[in-house]
Amino acid sequence: MCHGGQAHVPRRPATEPSAQSDLKEEVLATGEQLKEFHETMVRIMVWENTLMRMVDEGKVSGFYHPGRGQEAVPVGAIAALGADDYLMYSHRGCGYQIARGLSMTKIFGDFFSTSVGTTRGLGAGIVHHAAPELGILGQSGTIGGCFPIAAGAAFSAKFRGTDQVCICFFGDATSNRGTFHESVNVSAAWKLPVIWLCENNRYGVSSKIDDMTGNPNIVDRAPAYGIPGATVDGFDPEAVYHVTLEAVERARRGEGPTLIEAHTYRFRGHGYGDAQPYRTKEEVQEWMKKDPIPRLAARLLAEGVATQAELDVAYQKAQKEVDDAVEEALNSPFPPDDRIFEDLYA
Amino acid sequence: MPREMTYAHAIGEAMAEEIERDPRVYLWGEDVGVYRGAMGVTAGLLERFGPKYIIDTPLSETFIAGGAVGAAITGLRPIAEMMYSDFLMVAGDEIVNKAGKWRWMHGGLFKLPIVFRMPEGVAGGGGPEHGQSPEAFLWQAPGLKIVIPSTPADAKGLLKSAIRDDNPVCFFEHRGLYRTRGMIPDGEHLVPIGQADIKRTGSDVTVIAWSLMVHRALEAAEEVAQEGISVEVLDPRGLRPLDFDSIIKSLEKTGRLVFVHEAPKSGGPAAEIIARISEEALDLLAAPIKRVAAPDIPVPMSIRLEPLYVPQTSQIVAAIREVVGG
Repeated sequence: MCHGGQAHVPRRPATEPSAQSDLKEEVLATGEQLKEFHETMVRIMVWENTLMRMVDEGKVSGFYHPGRGQEAVPVGAIAALGADDYLMYSHRGCGYQIARGLSMTKIFGDFFSTSVGTTRGLGAGIVHHAAPELGILGQSGTIGGCFPIAAGAAFSAKFRGTDQVCICFFGDATSNRGTFHESVNVSAAWKLPVIWLCENNRYGVSSKIDDMTGNPNIVDRAPAYGIPGATVDGFDPEAVYHVTLEAVERARRGEGPTLIEAHTYRFRGHGYGDAQPYRTKEEVQEWMKKDPIPRLAARLLAEGVATQAELDVAYQKAQKEVDDAVEEALNSPFPPDDRIFEDLYA
Repeated sequence: MPREMTYAHAIGEAMAEEIERDPRVYLWGEDVGVYRGAMGVTAGLLERFGPKYIIDTPLSETFIAGGAVGAAITGLRPIAEMMYSDFLMVAGDEIVNKAGKWRWMHGGLFKLPIVFRMPEGVAGGGGPEHGQSPEAFLWQAPGLKIVIPSTPADAKGLLKSAIRDDNPVCFFEHRGLYRTRGMIPDGEHLVPIGQADIKRTGSDVTVIAWSLMVHRALEAAEEVAQEGISVEVLDPRGLRPLDFDSIIKSLEKTGRLVFVHEAPKSGGPAAEIIARISEEALDLLAAPIKRVAAPDIPVPMSIRLEPLYVPQTSQIVAAIREVVGG
């Protein structure tokens, strides 16, 4: 089977639980791959900025939870997957779907409830986009519903004798669902090929993770289940790529799951119109200094991997892709009224 | 040649035949392997198919149900044993919101061929959390089929159909029926889902009952037959899809209805069907409908108190007399 054809990188041992990755000292990805990471993060950002404008214009039904600031996690992690691996995305932005190759037209179509969307006009917001051909299995509207399903998909891969893996993205708050325990526990007991990737952005809606669990280091749960854990800088797509690749390869070798905790932060409110009374502007501004997009851009320039002109082109290309997708999705018809009665039963 | 076997054995045989027939079918649940399931229903399956197909899970109902969803949308056909149907409430999100809606809410891109085997009913000391008949909870769960066999032949034939169905099926087995015996037709025995069965033909009154209550209804019918009352016992064999046509057909003949179920009366499974009759076929009724159901209390644990909860044959007899005499 195909593992996706990504540029492979030097291997390094699995990180210990709670150990910060010190990946920056190694040359881990090729210049071309880093440029791709930058380009994909830009596409995700431009897509979200445009979607939020569409929300302002009243074109969107359904919830949206902005993901600005967290782009490096889906971009780095999904680059480590093969073509037929499974993915359960998180409720934070649409970076996962975009990084995995789902067309922006289809995503916009779901947000606009037009027929071109993956749900063919039924509508989807932050959840319910799906693309089986890309391994995108959909998502549970109830937070934490992803865990048992991801474990089940990983079980299925193992049962069928494939070397597919399943990656499950979730936030720090979601790790407090009981489904997390049941699913990580069984994945450890049965050595299921699953990667549990926690994006710790410090908040669940308004609640600080430090107030919601006795030990806010989610990765520390890994040894309790007898599985490897790793922390990673969630603003560095290369570091995320590397640590995910380790976990993917371990899963393919039949050695079971890994719990990864990516430290990140969301720059926008939880949902649209969130006044954010739970945190200060100063706190947000401090974290925004870690913005993964300018940070990678600066590195690309400093290392001579890309020129400023090339980086500017990435923005122009992304804006054109987004604008074309919006136009196509808006021009797609709404479904006929009897659409709501289709697809309940096979 | 038709063979006699128990309801439990019929369920085990259905699973064995379907696992044999389709390598995507497997069974998982708590203690379904060497322990043979909490009720012994899975006896012999581990020895025959091995641990790849007969899988003991951790005590994790959300995984048993939600993991089955993940396995089904990636190509397998799980049979998930919930040990007790009461655990529907433990894994409610996985069964109702995930299994029931995944296909619809993701644009029809997935199939969910899952059977949730859910042993239900009062059967000697189970009590409030191990003795319910929770099928009415699922009236509000579109996307889930609801199948309930009352005899060994129906259990085998309906379970085989459920396993072959491309949709999630909640399959309620009555724990009090596991040791009951009946004849199983020879060869490939399939009972279509959504087809009622007339368990006794009659002309004066229709008694709708399923699961263990079919047997009480048949006893009551026999008793009142001596008084010259002719009872038709209709077993819908499940609630979704509901064979409403057969109910109408029987009411056209009898014009009278007694409804029996083991769940509490208020909001119970009868309520919806009776509402539909009143909307679509009120003119067929020559007398008010009577419900014989459990009172609106939890299931008592004491075996001495159970009969005060579960509908008894004498109550069904009284209801029949009232409806026919009135």
